[in-house]
Amino acid sequence: MNREQFFQALRARLAGLPEADIVSSLEYYGEMIDDRVEDGVPEEVAVAAVGSVDEIAGQILMDMPLTKLVKARVKPQRRLKAWEIVLLVVGSPVWLPLLIALAAVVLAVYITLWAVIVSLYAAVLSVAVAAIACLIGGFVLSPLSLPGVLLGLGGALVCAGLAVLMFLGCTALAKCIVKLGQLLWQFIKSCFIGKRGKTE
Amino acid sequence: MDIQLKRGLLDVCVLAAIKPGDSYGYQIIRDMKPYVDISESTLYPILRRLETAELLTVRSAEHNGRLRKYYSITPSGLQRIEDFKQDWREMESIYRFVVREERESQ
Repeated sequence: MNREQFFQALRARLAGLPEADIVSSLEYYGEMIDDRVEDGVPEEVAVAAVGSVDEIAGQILMDMPLTKLVKARVKPQRRLKAWEIVLLVVGSPVWLPLLIALAAVVLAVYITLWAVIVSLYAAVLSVAVAAIACLIGGFVLSPLSLPGVLLGLGGALVCAGLAVLMFLGCTALAKCIVKLGQLLWQFIKSCFIGKRGKTE
Repeated sequence: MDIQLKRGLLDVCVLAAIKPGDSYGYQIIRDMKPYVDISESTLYPILRRLETAELLTVRSAEHNGRLRKYYSITPSGLQRIEDFKQDWREMESIYRFVVREERESQ
């Protein structure tokens, strides 16, 4: 593959993205190829050395904000015919609610993940508060009763220990949930990138 | 290595590559090669990210009849390197502690 073929292939893979982003990408890789050629590397070897078009396009698209990817995906690659426009408008009561529902599901999953994290830490906080309550109960509510004080102290220590263990567990779980959220986001992005590769 | 950690480390590596003076993409890859293998497709988003974060600036200059982009580090970029050095000293201390425990158990 020579330089021009590389540019054509890359431009085709990035079709739909803003022209400024496409031009910026082509300029960057063009410069990389030219620098290698200046070093004495044959053009086709230099083109092969910068990487495959699929890999490069995948990296560029994965780095794009999701909003740009969605726009690139839904933007028609050619001028729509009259019947296609009519079909889109007539079919909007079907596809539009489905699209909104899909976006709502994704948002709900994301909010749920964060709600789980918040509720885990709320549970830890409540156990910590229980420890303080036991301490107050032991020393303040039954100051003249040794069993009462010991009970309060014991309860406070148990709750404090439980709160510490729960905090460690919750933190580990929260990290897993955050990682899950990131994987979910990457998966959603890859859906838009993957489909582009298959259709072109 | 954790992807996010590697991403952050590569960002600092690129900044370190341009710290001595203005450099361009191909030269940055060659400078980093003895230490870390980085491809053009990996470097591109890093440069864009660093430019957006104003850790480096870009200018085009004429070179052998064509335009070449040169990257310069900013004061924020220099600070990022200093922050990394500080973080690394802390990480080294933790590493020595972890490794010490393994040595004692052997």
